[in-house]
Amino acid sequence: MAINEQAILNSELRWAAVVGGIIAVIVSAVLYAAIAMHVNPPSNREYVDPKTLHLSAEFTEANLGTRIDPDGRVVARLIATQFEFVPNCIVLPTNREVTLRFATPDVIHGILVTGTNVNTMVVPGYVAQVHTQFTKTGDLLMPCHEYCGLGHTQMIATVKVVPPEQFRPDAEGRAACGDAR
Amino acid sequence: MSDPAYPVTRHDYAGDAEELERLEAALEGGPKGAVAVSLIAVALLMIGWLGMYFLVFLPRGTVG
Repeated sequence: MAINEQAILNSELRWAAVVGGIIAVIVSAVLYAAIAMHVNPPSNREYVDPKTLHLSAEFTEANLGTRIDPDGRVVARLIATQFEFVPNCIVLPTNREVTLRFATPDVIHGILVTGTNVNTMVVPGYVAQVHTQFTKTGDLLMPCHEYCGLGHTQMIATVKVVPPEQFRPDAEGRAACGDAR
Repeated sequence: MSDPAYPVTRHDYAGDAEELERLEAALEGGPKGAVAVSLIAVALLMIGWLGMYFLVFLPRGTVG
């Protein structure tokens, strides 16, 4: 009787097949999410000068918050700064494609919206952009998730997600948290 | 280069014949125990991964 090297080799080949099958399942699941459900990592390369953010066309104080752009898109613009979001509450409708755009004049911040896949870094010099569609209403917390200084834990905003009939932008297309009832 | 402590064939094996018989008997059908432990561990890992993916990640909606 000899040590059955062929049996050992066969078991390794079978195990390689199992691992190959697992990799195929995981890659298929990721491709399904990306192609069929449009779940992708937020990727946007867009530059903005952090020193003159408040003077830029887009991130001036009057232009922050939720707004319906001329092309019909719902866009919310926020500044993440030590140690608050401006504005600290935005209102957005359910079941409609929305775009969140962030910029920072100081250090690296990060945002996530609880209960959703919205999650991105906010890096000085870049505009962070996330497209999403909210399906549930409610006040969702949006904390800074990248340590940004001593006041980091105080840096938290609210995303107020309301049914479409309660989303009432004004004549200029702007909507604020106080408007939604 | 063969190391007597880790024999490649029975000719390299420096131990006694009885021990060699036990070793051969244990390995006759391949490493069944190792395969069983690996299958259980990987199955638990995959159940966890698929559960997080389909029950937590996908219901949280589209993003891009």
